[in-house]
Amino acid sequence: MRRLLDSLKQSFRTFDKGMREDATSLIRKQLDEEENVFALLTMGVFSGIPSPPTGVVLRILPHMSREIAVMNKRSAGLDDVFSQTLGTFDID
Amino acid sequence: MKTYFFLGKGGVGKTTASAAWSVGLAHSGMKTLVASIDPAHNLGDAFAIRLGDRITHVGDNLDAVEVNIEDMIRAYLDELSVKMKHTYSYMSAMNIDGYFDILKNSPGIEEYATMEAIKKFVALTEYGVVVFDTPPTGMTIRVLAMPRVSLLWTEQLIKMRKRILATRGMVENVQGKFEAEVDGEKVVLSSREKEDPIMQELVSYREELLALKDMFSSDQSYVEIVTMAEDLALSETKRIIESLGKFKIRVRAIYLNKFFAMANPPEEIQGKMEEQERVVGRMKAEIRGIEVKNIPLLRKSPRGINELLDVYSKYLV
Ligand SMILES: Nc1ncnc2c1ncn2[C@@H]1O[C@H](COP(=O)(O)OP(=O)(O)OP(=O)(O)O)[C@@H](O)[C@H]1O
Ligand SMILES: [Mg+2]
Repeated sequence: MRRLLDSLKQSFRTFDKGMREDATSLIRKQLDEEENVFALLTMGVFSGIPSPPTGVVLRILPHMSREIAVMNKRSAGLDDVFSQTLGTFDID
Repeated sequence: MKTYFFLGKGGVGKTTASAAWSVGLAHSGMKTLVASIDPAHNLGDAFAIRLGDRITHVGDNLDAVEVNIEDMIRAYLDELSVKMKHTYSYMSAMNIDGYFDILKNSPGIEEYATMEAIKKFVALTEYGVVVFDTPPTGMTIRVLAMPRVSLLWTEQLIKMRKRILATRGMVENVQGKFEAEVDGEKVVLSSREKEDPIMQELVSYREELLALKDMFSSDQSYVEIVTMAEDLALSETKRIIESLGKFKIRVRAIYLNKFFAMANPPEEIQGKMEEQERVVGRMKAEIRGIEVKNIPLLRKSPRGINELLDVYSKYLV
C-alpha cells in the first residue's frame, strides 16, 4: 500500500512539473492539454488506463461532458491518445 | 456514535461474533444497529430471521440490516446513466451504455459502494452504536483504506483543476468569457472555482472523505479481528494490524474462535491443542496492547437472541 501511495505521489509530481512548464506561450493549447490530461486521468477507466478510485470518477462523471468531448475529439486518432497517455505516465 | 468492524476471513465466525456483540450492547441499553456489508450475507441466519435491505427491528434496542451491495451499485449506475443521457445529448445512448458496462465491472466499484453503505449507516443519528459484519479481510481493508487513498487522488485532482481554471482565467483576460463548442452547442465555461461544477464536486467529496477518514481512525471506531488459534493466523493477524496501522486504524481485540476447550482431549486432537496453546502464547507476547480472547467451539451453532447473548456475556466481555 505504501509503495502504491509513493508511486502515485511520484506520478503526480511528474504531472505537476509538466503542467507548470511553458506557462506563457500558447495558453490555449496549454488549456486543451490540461483538460485532456484531466479527462484521461479521471476517465481512463473507459480505456484501461490506471484510474483514480472509482468513487472519485463517479462523483465527477456527470460534470465531465466537456472534457469527455475533448477526449473523444482526440480519440479520432486513437494512436495519438495512447501515445499521449503513455507520455503523461512516463511510459515508453 | 461508536462503530465496530468485525474482520476476518471466510467462515471464522465474523457473523456470529458481530451478532453476539450487537446483542450484548443492545442489552446493556445502547441503541444498536448491526449491519451486514458482506455480499455473502448470513446475519439473518445468526438471528434466525429473514433480513434484507430494510432495517428490521430484531430485539430491544436492536435493529439489523443486510445491504445488497450489488443492487446498490446497479441502482446508482442506472440513476447516473439516466442523468447522463439527459445532459450528454451529443453522446449516443449506446455509447453511454457502453461506458456503464465498463463502470459496472471496474475494479473498486464494490469497495466504493461498500464505503457508501457505511457512510449511510453512520449518518443515522438515532443509533448509539453501529456494528458491521464485514466481507472477508482483504476487501474490508481496502474499504477502510479507501477514504485515505481517495483523498490523495481528490486533493491532486483539485490542484490540477485549480490550474485549469487559472489557465482559463488567462484566456478570459484576453478574449472575454470563455466559450467552447460541445458538438454544436455553445457552453460558457467559468474560470471561477465556485462556478465550476467539477471543482465543487471534488471539494465536497473531499469533505466527505475527510469526515470518513477521521471517523475510521478516531477512538470511537474499533476493528475487532476474528480468527482461529492456528499457526497461520498469527502472521496473518500481524499483517492485518500492520496494514490497518498504516491507515491509523486501531484494532481493539482479537477473538480466537472455535477454540477447543477440553479437560481430557482424545489423542487425535492433542497436536491441534498444542498448536492452540502455542498460538495463544505467542499472540499475547508478540501483539501488545490488544486484547486476545477465546471463544470455545460450542456444541451447537448459536442461533437467535438468547444464544447470542449467552455468547456475549460468557466470552466477549
Ligand atoms: N464458537 C463457535 N462454536 C460453534 N459454532 C460456531 C462458533 N462460531 C461460529 N460457529 C458457526 O460456524 C459457522 C460459521 O460462522 P459464521 O457464519 O459466524 O462465520 P463468518 O465468518 O460470518 O462466515 P462467512 O465468511 O461465511 O460469512 C456458522 O454456522 C456458525 O454458527
Ligand atoms: Mg458471515
